[in-house]
Amino acid sequence: MRDLRIPIGLFFSLAGVILAVTGLVTENRAPLETVNVDLYSGLSILVFGGLLLWLARRSF
Amino acid sequence: MTLAPVDYLILSLYFAFVLGIGWIVKRKVATSEDFLTSGRSVPVWITSLAFIAANLGAQEVIGMCASGAKYGIMTAHFYWIGAVPAMLFVGVFMMPFYYGSRARSVPEYLKLRFDEKTRALNACSFAVMTVFSSGISMYALGLLFQLVLGWSFTASVLLSAAIVLIYTFLGGLTSAIYNEVLQFFLIVLGFAPLAIMSVLKAGGWSGMSQRLPPVMTHAWSYLKDPSQNPMGVEIFGLVAGLGFVLSFGYWCTDFLVVQRAMAAESMSAARRTPLIAAFPKMIMPFIVIVPGVAALALSKMALGYALPVKADGGPDYDQAMTTLMAQFYPSGMLGLGLTALMASFMSGMAGNVTAFNTVWTYDLYQGYIRKHAPDSHYLMVARFTTVVGVGLSVGTAYLASHFNNIMDFLQLVFGFVNAPLFATFLLGMFWKRATGHGAFTGLLAGTLAAAATHGLTLAENKGGWLGAVVHSFPSTMAQNFWIAIFAWSTCLVVTILVSLLSRPKAEAELRNLVYGLTDIPHDADLPWYKRPLPLAAVVIVALVILNFIFW
Repeated sequence: MRDLRIPIGLFFSLAGVILAVTGLVTENRAPLETVNVDLYSGLSILVFGGLLLWLARRSF
Repeated sequence: MTLAPVDYLILSLYFAFVLGIGWIVKRKVATSEDFLTSGRSVPVWITSLAFIAANLGAQEVIGMCASGAKYGIMTAHFYWIGAVPAMLFVGVFMMPFYYGSRARSVPEYLKLRFDEKTRALNACSFAVMTVFSSGISMYALGLLFQLVLGWSFTASVLLSAAIVLIYTFLGGLTSAIYNEVLQFFLIVLGFAPLAIMSVLKAGGWSGMSQRLPPVMTHAWSYLKDPSQNPMGVEIFGLVAGLGFVLSFGYWCTDFLVVQRAMAAESMSAARRTPLIAAFPKMIMPFIVIVPGVAALALSKMALGYALPVKADGGPDYDQAMTTLMAQFYPSGMLGLGLTALMASFMSGMAGNVTAFNTVWTYDLYQGYIRKHAPDSHYLMVARFTTVVGVGLSVGTAYLASHFNNIMDFLQLVFGFVNAPLFATFLLGMFWKRATGHGAFTGLLAGTLAAAATHGLTLAENKGGWLGAVVHSFPSTMAQNFWIAIFAWSTCLVVTILVSLLSRPKAEAELRNLVYGLTDIPHDADLPWYKRPLPLAAVVIVALVILNFIFW
């Protein structure tokens, strides 16, 4: 494997997209929280995954 | 707690990536050293994260959150005092001998430094211990998923065991280490939102301090006397027992973690592995312990949240983490949180299996069963051992579910065996006069001293089986710390005495194994962040600041 950042970045980007989309299209809320947890954590995880992919790409 | 399709989607995505990484890494495995030691070629950021992830099992995550709710922020001592100083020590002082000796395992180092019998003692006890701890954590996870999700015990144990088996069978240690890094990020990203939301809901740290007794939000202020704090420990027992003997014994000698550093690509990378790992290690209490403290604060507010009650009427702290997840995570994030739990469990198990594999193949099989076979034979044995290791873990998990008392007894015995270890390594590495006879008798004497301390003292109705009770401890934790202190001191004294009476090894045989006969690598021309000592200094400053904030 050339760079471990690629599979890990890919995993978190995909998981982030899944979470963010879930947050956008559903009204899922947890009992004690009114914030759209899926949307915001999905976006943060997507940013993290994207960052890893960008770092891996930059070092080629 | 019920899961939605999106939760299963995230869990399956994770399984697919874990197996995929194993599949890709497989191409790099040509020799037994590739499989068992990663061919000493892993970059330092990867070995560092694997170094702490291998220890970050699900039991650890659940247990630390439970302790947070039970003992408060004092639990962070298991990280700050009970891990970081030892990690600095192994990186700065011990790694030159481990890595420089070219030993492939910790028991093999003992053979080079001392003799065959010391190696055999350490290899056998380590092999048995890793299989059992892997099985016990598997049992704990099976129970948890049964309780929280209603999954069948057999299904969750077999599914996770099968996945760990496939990826470690394919790529060996490299595959385990790579997946540990993925697992580490998953644990952080999966639990950090829980920590943030639970603390905010409880009114921030100041709100929590107001709602809880002050002992729960201070790490050091209530340690003068065991009666002041719920752990029932005092400062000397904590610092000497946990901070010195137990923590150095684990982080500096346990092959499970040391193996990660030994897989690094160079001596410098091996030394920096535990030092870089110390940074995330210091932060982990905020992700795994603080939610537990917040759970206790939340249960004192009129939110309808309470810690579940056990059969005996007391609060079930072990459910703090999962009940918080149910309260704060909607479907989707819940899936990611559970995936993180599953990941921490699997990384703990893969860590045990790969360490067991190396010790079995190199120390026991090659050492005592077949000495001079071609390398391809050992690679085959190593792959086969992966299957056996996973199989034994599953067997142990079932054994644990039927005979809980046997498991408690075994864990107690393992504690006795482990307690004196650090004295042996300390003398072995820094005193060239220490001999094999000394090390071996010291280890045995230390183990006996540990058993005797347990047999002569009483804590929460545990121990005292030797008849006479010399002392009563306020808690089993205090008892454990003092058992460790006595075992270590006995091992130290006996090793020194017997060494002085027996013939030392010739200095030529001790090259690269002992302080004074080993070239410590020059690194003055490297930038500071690539040198062990400046890195360690930064860690110490950060550690002191953290302890002052939570004084």
